[in-house]
Amino acid sequence: MNTEDSRHALPYTDAKKVGAADFYFGINATFGFIQQLFGLEGLRRYWRGLGDKYYSPVSAAWKTGGLPAVAAYWRAFFAAEPGAEVEVILDSASVILEVRACPAITHLRAHARRIVPCFCQHCYYVSEAMAAPAGLTVRVEGGNGSCRQTFLPRQEHLPAQDLNQIKEAK
Amino acid sequence: MIGVYDFCGHYDWTFEWLRQTGGEALVREYWDEAIHQNSQRHACELIQQQGFAGMATYWGHTLSHEGAGYDTTVAEGVFRIDMHECPSKGFLLRNHLGAYHDYCNHCMGWIGPMLQEAGFAVDHEHNHCGQCWWEMRRLSDDNPPSGPGMLAGPHDVRLCPDWSQAGTKHDLYCRSNHPDHKV
Repeated sequence: MNTEDSRHALPYTDAKKVGAADFYFGINATFGFIQQLFGLEGLRRYWRGLGDKYYSPVSAAWKTGGLPAVAAYWRAFFAAEPGAEVEVILDSASVILEVRACPAITHLRAHARRIVPCFCQHCYYVSEAMAAPAGLTVRVEGGNGSCRQTFLPRQEHLPAQDLNQIKEAK
Repeated sequence: MIGVYDFCGHYDWTFEWLRQTGGEALVREYWDEAIHQNSQRHACELIQQQGFAGMATYWGHTLSHEGAGYDTTVAEGVFRIDMHECPSKGFLLRNHLGAYHDYCNHCMGWIGPMLQEAGFAVDHEHNHCGQCWWEMRRLSDDNPPSGPGMLAGPHDVRLCPDWSQAGTKHDLYCRSNHPDHKV
């Protein structure tokens, strides 16, 4: 994926092509700080807020562009994350992210950082808050360095996300 | 997933979320506990162990990774940074983001306490337009900050024509270690 070509799919763009990996330390520390003060529910409230407010331009793009826009966003997103190994698969019914090497978990582990155990749940809560206004939903399986995330249209009878399917990060 | 490419955007949004949730005191607590004592503890270790050499190593690594336009000057008893194009504030300006009312204060929010712990005080000024300067000296050193151009020569950001822009407010800190100790 050519970062220059794909960056138009991102809501906020930078002069640099790839982010600075040490900022994963900040993300992990932020989750830990909020959870310590406000508990898991407080942390989930923060994640939902990020998804439906900060990332609202992404939701708008997904609402207009549907699943191809979802795929374009994630391709551009992971092209700009240092160390990500992710395949984005688009078909007529879904977008699947096969995360073979999560850039955040990889970097935190490489630097012996204590990872917030519920770290991987943020992928569900943030993405679900981004997807819902676009008529989409997400299901996450795995975690702790590799996972599968499936984005698909919201359906009445679809089982809710089973949080037991999301592994604790270590 | 939230990532590091747009980190400065959700970092800024997080400051405002914290302010709305627990007031300005919570934002200060976050900068000190989550950023200084946790996220950036590698910087604390380096500077506590190596002093000025640790500052050169830390800021050399982090600012080049963030894509900053900056100069550093090392002289007897002082380490100086002239930031001409802050990658962090620059990201917000380019993307028209600004959830929190005083984004630039976050640097003093974690760097101030970190340097105090390592035995240093800070003279610092920023213009909220992506430009700032820093001079770090030992707590026992009473020397005042340098005048424009005296230490960094032509690299001194205060000599840039856009350092003082109409309608912008500068924040100045003298021998400070706290984000609220502005002159």
